[in-house]
Parts: sequence; C-alpha cells; structure tokens
Amino acid sequence: MGGKRKTNENEGMEGEEDSKHNIKKMKKEKSEILPSSIKNKEKRSAVHAKLKHQKKLDKRKKLKARDAAAKLALELGEEPPPKQIPRTIENTREADETVCMPDDEELFAGNDADEFSAVLKQDRTPKILITTCRFNSTRGPAFITELLSVIPNSHYYKRGTYDLKKIVEYANNKEFTSIIVVHTNRREPDALLIIGLPDGPTAHFKLSSLVLRKDIKNHGNPTSHEPELVLNNFTTRLGHRIGRLIQSLFPQSPNFRGRRVVTFHNQRDFIFFRHHRYIFETKEIKQSESKGKKAKDTKGESISKEKVIARLQECGPRFTLKLVSLQHGTFDTRGGEFEWVHKPQSQHVFRSRGKIHDHPCGRSCVNSPSEHMLLRCGWIRDIWFGGCYGPKFNREKLLLISGC
Amino acid sequence: MPRTTTVDCPGCPPLRALTFDALGLIKVIEAREKGGGVAKVVERWGDPDASKCVLAASMNDRKIDPLLAVARKNGVIEILNPLNGELSRTVSDVSNAGVRPEDDAIVGLHLSCTLLTCKTKGNARIKTVDLADTQADSGAPKTWNVCGSGNILFSEVDGSESYALFGGKGVEVNMWDLENCTKIWTAKPPPANSLGIFTPTWFTSATFLGKDDHRKVVAGTNNHQVRLYDISAQRRPVVSFDFRETPIKAVAEDLDGHTVYIGNGSGDLASVDIRTGKLLGCFLGKCSGSIRSIARHPELPVIASCGLDSYLRIWDIGTRQLLSSVFLKQHLTKVVFDTNFTEEVKHVAADLALHEAQSIGEIETADETEKPAMKRKKSSSKENKEGKKKNKSSKEKEGIKKLKSKKRSKNQEHDIAAADDA
Repeated sequence: MGGKRKTNENEGMEGEEDSKHNIKKMKKEKSEILPSSIKNKEKRSAVHAKLKHQKKLDKRKKLKARDAAAKLALELGEEPPPKQIPRTIENTREADETVCMPDDEELFAGNDADEFSAVLKQDRTPKILITTCRFNSTRGPAFITELLSVIPNSHYYKRGTYDLKKIVEYANNKEFTSIIVVHTNRREPDALLIIGLPDGPTAHFKLSSLVLRKDIKNHGNPTSHEPELVLNNFTTRLGHRIGRLIQSLFPQSPNFRGRRVVTFHNQRDFIFFRHHRYIFETKEIKQSESKGKKAKDTKGESISKEKVIARLQECGPRFTLKLVSLQHGTFDTRGGEFEWVHKPQSQHVFRSRGKIHDHPCGRSCVNSPSEHMLLRCGWIRDIWFGGCYGPKFNREKLLLISGC
Repeated sequence: MPRTTTVDCPGCPPLRALTFDALGLIKVIEAREKGGGVAKVVERWGDPDASKCVLAASMNDRKIDPLLAVARKNGVIEILNPLNGELSRTVSDVSNAGVRPEDDAIVGLHLSCTLLTCKTKGNARIKTVDLADTQADSGAPKTWNVCGSGNILFSEVDGSESYALFGGKGVEVNMWDLENCTKIWTAKPPPANSLGIFTPTWFTSATFLGKDDHRKVVAGTNNHQVRLYDISAQRRPVVSFDFRETPIKAVAEDLDGHTVYIGNGSGDLASVDIRTGKLLGCFLGKCSGSIRSIARHPELPVIASCGLDSYLRIWDIGTRQLLSSVFLKQHLTKVVFDTNFTEEVKHVAADLALHEAQSIGEIETADETEKPAMKRKKSSSKENKEGKKKNKSSKEKEGIKKLKSKKRSKNQEHDIAAADDA
C-alpha cells in the first residue's frame, strides 16, 4: 500500500510540476485555450463568460467604428464604405450548369421529342387513372377523392390484386395518358407514383405533410372548371422534365372563369402542392399611411389610387412531394433504367461545407418578366408556367376576366 | 460519415471524345492542357431531330483517314469524318423495305474496313465500305440471321475482327466466325436455382476480355449478373457474380486483360477483377442516371462514361477519381475516344508518363493488392526517373496526414470555407 501511496505522491508531485508548466503555458497562450478543454465547471463557465463578454465588447467596438466611419464619410461628402452583404443559403449556392435557358434550341427540340409533347400540344386530352396500393384505408381514400376533384378527367379504379405492370397495360389499352398510384403506409399516404403513358417516365415521390381539405381552416370548395397551373422554380433539366410530367396531368386550356389555381412550388427539392381559388378586388388606397410606407408607395399613387388585390382561398389538399427516382419507361423496378435516382451518400461526398450544391429540381427562377396577376400575392415571387416558357398571361387579359 | 476534406482534382489529360445523343447530335469534347484539364464541348455536328436519334456508333480509329459510322433511328447509317464531321456517305437499308426502321432498329455497328451492322430482329450484315468509289455496291453484302427469336441487344467484334458476339433478350450469347458466317459457340443458361426458379435469358451487354484473345467473353445480364465465359472451356459461365440491384447496362474491358468496368441502370460504375469476380472499387461521384456506355482510352489511364443523366464523366482508373464532367443536355447513347488527338505531340507524351507514374504512386500508397503486376513493371523505369518528384509529393502527403486530427481538420475546413467565400 505504502508503495502505491508513494507512487501516488510522486505522481501528485509531478502533476503539480505539470500544472506549473501548464500555468506558464497558459500565460503564453491564454487566448488560445478553449473553455471546453477546462474540466472544472466553475472555472470553465467563468472563462467562457469572460470570453463572451470580450467578444461582445469587440463587436460593439467594431460596430461603433464602422458607424463612425460612415458618418464621417457622409459629413465629408464622400462615398460611404460599401455595405456588407450577408451570406445566405441562396446567394452562396453554386451555379448549376443544368439550368434551362430560354434561348436553348436543343431544349425545345428535346421538348418536342419527349413523351409529354402529345399531351402538351393538345393532340391528346389528358385522362388520368388513379389507383392505390394493395391496402388502402382511412386517409388514403379521402386523399384520393380530393385528388379526383383537383385533377379533371381523372378516374379512380380499385386496385384489387393486379400487378402494376398489368394495370399499365390495361390503361394503355383504354388510352389513359397517366397513372397515379397513391401508396399508403400505416393508413397514411406516404408515396406517390406518377407514370406517363404509353412509354413515359415513372416518377416516384415521397409524400409528406398531407393536410386534407376539411382540416384546413376557412377552406373553399373547388368548382369543376379546368384549373390554371402554376409550376414554380422547375428550372434545371430534371426539374423541367418533372414540371412537364406534372403539366401533362392537367388539361392545357384552363378555364379562367373558374379562377382556380393549382400550384406546384419547388423549393430546395421539395415540391409544395397548393390548391386555391382566387378573386381580384379593387381597393382604394388609404391616404393616411405611415410615413415610411408613403415614400415607397409614392410611385403607385401617382399612377392610380385604386389598387387591384388578389385574394386567395385555399381549397383542396395540401401536401409536399420529394422526388425519389425518375425512371425511364413505365414502371419496372427490377429491370428499369433510371434517369435520376436520389443517392443520399454520393450527393454529399463532394460537397464542401458552407456551400450548398444546387438541388436537382431547380433553384430560384431565372429572372424572367413575370406577368401573372397572382404575383401580387405576397407569397409568390416568380412564376414560371411550365412548358415552353409559356403560356404567359397578360395583365390586361386577366383584368378583363376578373371584370366579368 | 461523409467525407469532410476536399480532394483536389488533377484534371483531365489532353484527350478528345465524341458523344452521341438522343436528338442525333454528335458533340466533340476536348480537354486541353491550357484549360487546366477541364473538358469542354468544342463542336456540335448535326441539328436536333428526334428521328435521327443515334442508336449505335463505331469509330475506325486509325492514324490516317479515320472514319466514324453512326446508326440512326430512321434506319440510316452515316459515315462521317471524325475530325471535322463531314458526311462522306450514307448507307441506307434497302434489304427489308416492308419493315419500319423503328421496329427493327440497328443495335450493333462495327466499322473497320468492313461495316458490320446488326438489327434487333437478328439480321446481321457485312458490307465493304470503300471511300474511293462512292458507288453503293462495292461487293455484295454478306447477310445472315443471328437468331430465330428474341431481340438482339448488342453485338461486339473482337480485336482481330474475325469473330463477332451477339446476344439479347431471349438470346444467349453466341459467337460467329465472320469469314464464313458460321456460329461457332453459344452459351448455355445456368441451371435453375435451389428453388427451381429459372431466370429468363436477357443479356444487355458484352465485351471481349482481351484484344487478341477472342475466347474470353464478359457479359452483363438484365438481372444484375456479370458472367465470364471461356469458349474453350465450357458453355456455362466460368465466373458469375451479382452487382447491385439494377440491370447491368454497360460492360467495358481494360487493356490489362482482367479488369472490367461495369455500369448499371441506376448509375453505379465499378471496376471488377474478372478472374476472381472481386470488386476493386466503385467510381463515386454524383452519377445518378443509368450508364449507357463506357469507353476506355487506349493510351491514357482514363475511362469515360455517359448515359441518361446526360453527363459525360471522365474518370481516372487508378484512383477512381472523377476528373471532369460535362453536361450535354440530352440523354447520351454512346461515347467514343479519338486517340489520335494531339494538342502538342511532345506535351502529351510527357504528360502521359507523368500521369501514369503519379497514379501508380498513389495506388501503391493506397492498397498494393489492387494493382496489376504487369503495369508496375512497365512503368518502373519511369518511376525511377520521376523519383525526386515523387519524394516531394510524398512529403507533402505526410504533412497533410499529420494534420488529420479532428480539430485541426475542422479548422482547416473552416479556412477552406473562408477562402472559398473570399
């Protein structure tokens, strides 16, 4: 025992010596020691607080210096130092070479040749078959009834025990243009399969955050008019293809009297589905506005004192899609050839931190002149109607429609 | 755990590749020393037209007067000059006028001094192609039928150009003697498995393993199997193994005679030692679309892959690193290397030697078992010459390794990020 104690004492001595050394070192590189490496909690928190305080002071000093410099520059009549631009996810994104440009002739030739061109050129009217997975209950059928009300000319068929390949064959014979399969898991719809016919691609989406109509507050009931379609942000090549696939589900001649709009908004690979009714209202601008706003609104006031406002009422389901795979040809999981597969591993391998690779479906819109009235809604910024960068809407036309 | 450090890309060695796509366009991609080894589209031949979709292409890669044959969807075979894209002549099929060209598409094409074409229904044809006389009939074409039923999906011709390989959906791999048009060998399907389930034959691609040896054949099937056949040994596969879950879509051989590159329907590209069936490694990148074609450069240690994700990707075969990728807008069907491309002749040779030595050095440090013995012998002299350089590089490597503690690497990363932002 004694021996052990001795050794302990020796160690203790050594430890003291070490600590002395450490203190010396600490003095040398006090600023470099991280509080997280200190084991004593009290000490650690004290050091941490001190560091934090120091940082705060430094920051305040920096800000003060900057403001002073700006003020000085103003007084002297010089140019103020340039404002710093914050780094956001959007502006640190790497440029994507696959973004479609409207002057690309190959893109249009490709569009003319692809599987959807027959539907999109109105040679064929879209006719949709909706079916489910084998077992289907509660939210599944409810979702399907709402899908039926969203997509015109869609028909629900019971799945039965048929193979999907057999169903594809059947739908081809009956001249359907697409098949939608709603997959449910634990009584909750969780995947959507859209198959273009006769040889179109098969897109497999993950479906999440589904809110049905009755769960939406102040929801409206859609009419049976053909809806307008807004495809937002489908800008890359893959996004373009998905956009065209979605576009081919809907009739290409919207009935503007219905004032129904179906939106697919793509943001960072998630496709948000919304279904609205809209109405245009003219509102007089109040003269008594706050001063800050006045400065901004002076332009608007000089043109007209009446303002057209689009009001929206949400109806129909609300859900989010995420593309899992896009397969060349109709459904065939084992022998299929994929145009795009989500690979979680490889997507991140070559990603450097602080930079976000562009998502495959598209990024914020190419700055195209936007003419749709819905742009006056706060939540829509840019609208790109799918297809050949059209059909774009005239402001005047829309005003006419809203007038009658 | 994703990789957190970035690997710097050495860039492409100077090379020239031709790609063929679904709109019938032929694009010329060149990588040059000046541009830092970034491959770029240099030229585009043809106008976008879906009916001219390229189904097969073959290049006669000789020093003088090279030729390029392109089979289109509308049944026309065009013979071009691969240097400037000039159309020298077209060969259209008159043999079966009753059938629409879409129904009986051309699947295989091989151009040397003769032109071998093979169609889906199994009509193979050999025709002499002579540029000197532009008359259509320069010797009667030899035609024969390869299969009674099923669809042919590929045809391959070996290095000596006396044997051809056919196979497809419902057609076992079979070999033909081209001189007298006789079938010399057919494969036999593997027996039913222990459950008594018999998988239908569906070959999607095949290649001869060696350039001068026609007896060894590697074939990929639709049910993700890769098989090695030795026609001198038996009719059943000698080696057979599975690769991932989606069908094998492209198989290409290496020059060393035992490495095979396989690409499948979901965009996985890997190299395999076919003698053992062991996976050497995967080519990791952001490749997410089916691989339709793989080409091995005959001189440089480089392969190119292309497919439905419309990227042409160029990989280093030693490090399996992505050297360059080019976005080409359409679904690509085929890629071909032009070996006679020389930017500056001396430059290329020097670069080649350097590159080879480098890649070998890297491999030796990485894993020694992987490297074929043949190559090391060849390049050993070069290695000695490059010894000094290598030492330097190894020192640098050590320096990097020392830094690899977690915190430091994090710091480094921040630095990198900061540098990038700046």
